[in-house]
Amino acid sequence: MAELLESSVPKFAAGCRWGGTIEAPVVLFPEGAIRVEGTGRIILELCDGHFSLAEIVQKLETQFMLAPKGKIRADVQTFLEQLHAKRVIDY
Amino acid sequence: MTKCSNPLALIAEITHRCPLHCVYCSNPLEMTSRQEELATADWLRVFREAAALGVLHLHLTGGEPLARPDLAELIEGARKSHLYTNLITSGIGLSRDRLAELVKAGLDHIQLSFQDSTEGQANWIAGARAHAHKLDLAKWIREHKNPIAFTTNLVVHRQNVDHLEQMITALEALRPDRMEIAHAQYYGWALQNRSALLPTRAQLDRAVAVVAAAEERLRGKVRIDMVIPDYHARFPKACMGGWGRQLLLVDPAGRALPCHAAGVIPGMSFDNVREHTLDWIWQNSEAFQKFRGEHWMPEPCRSCDRRKEDFGGCRCQAFLLTGDARATDPVCELAPLHHIVEDAVREHAVTEPAPDACEAPFHVLQQEMAGFWSYRTDPK
Repeated sequence: MAELLESSVPKFAAGCRWGGTIEAPVVLFPEGAIRVEGTGRIILELCDGHFSLAEIVQKLETQFMLAPKGKIRADVQTFLEQLHAKRVIDY
Repeated sequence: MTKCSNPLALIAEITHRCPLHCVYCSNPLEMTSRQEELATADWLRVFREAAALGVLHLHLTGGEPLARPDLAELIEGARKSHLYTNLITSGIGLSRDRLAELVKAGLDHIQLSFQDSTEGQANWIAGARAHAHKLDLAKWIREHKNPIAFTTNLVVHRQNVDHLEQMITALEALRPDRMEIAHAQYYGWALQNRSALLPTRAQLDRAVAVVAAAEERLRGKVRIDMVIPDYHARFPKACMGGWGRQLLLVDPAGRALPCHAAGVIPGMSFDNVREHTLDWIWQNSEAFQKFRGEHWMPEPCRSCDRRKEDFGGCRCQAFLLTGDARATDPVCELAPLHHIVEDAVREHAVTEPAPDACEAPFHVLQQEMAGFWSYRTDPK
């Protein structure tokens, strides 16, 4: 599996996109859909091909200042690696 | 009336016409003719109604969906209705230009079928010269400037499962996002050809190991989804995610079915999208209510903990194998009639010399293989 680096730019894989409604958005991909809310939604909205992992983590750390040091980085990494294994996110 | 959730996917069998004659086809033996097919406007309305009902995914299938000249229009309409559109195809009838047209119309995902790893063997199974074109098409799909999701779909059975490793290697070179490796399911033509298709236990065990190794090696590159042959499983499959629970199928003539093979169950009547809205059909039609929920279940399903996972298995398979659509799917080791499946495995899942794969025009193949298997024929 490709290694997720600080400089990696996560983005939706081919054929994966937003769907559903604004109130209840889903990520659509072949044979499946994930309802995303809360932090998951915020992370995926940043996976638009413009931000590196380091930048995404930095933005989240600014937003969630009370989170323990390093936790956001670890959570984002796990989340993106899981979606990469499902071929929803590329980096 | 059993309360129901909304469907998540619509399987649109837009035609039964197909240039291939695959021996494992799960289409019904009685097929819809071209004259009976729904018109473009009917399908577009069905797609709008599906989206309004909460459907997210549209699977355009057949037969061969490319046989419909209005396919791009259907895809465009589906995308306008906000459906995720998946084209399940043999690729025959898809030129580079037509592919571009479908992608422009909004196609999200293409699922291209393969029959085997070598041209001769693949064409023998498909009863048509199709393999070489599929390889070209795979290249065009990956070269296209607007990337869409690309799945290779491989139906495996006793005649090709021993080549699974070579097939995976060959398909990997086509750079798909996803590989579907589905053991044949015994409905329609596949049931008719079961004695030539059912794999042995040893073949299945090797196939499972091959797929596990490929999954490990390709993790993050290619997602592999495998469907095992339920005759060799301990418990039945959760057919369609439960009857009238997540999926619905509309056949080429507009009949709405809870499962691909539901037409075989005697005494069932299927409402037609020409006469009713999809919403009405989903909520009220007799066919969808018949096996929805648990009220119909006999023992051992009724008191079984697994009933919420597999919903008692497949109603059509229960009918096809036991003559009673309410019976516990005989695939289940707990089913009173499980011996029917055990007997079929004992009788048919045996290694015996297969005829040499040969390439010949369809009518010649059809004649030469008549004692071995029947090729799928086209609707009249």
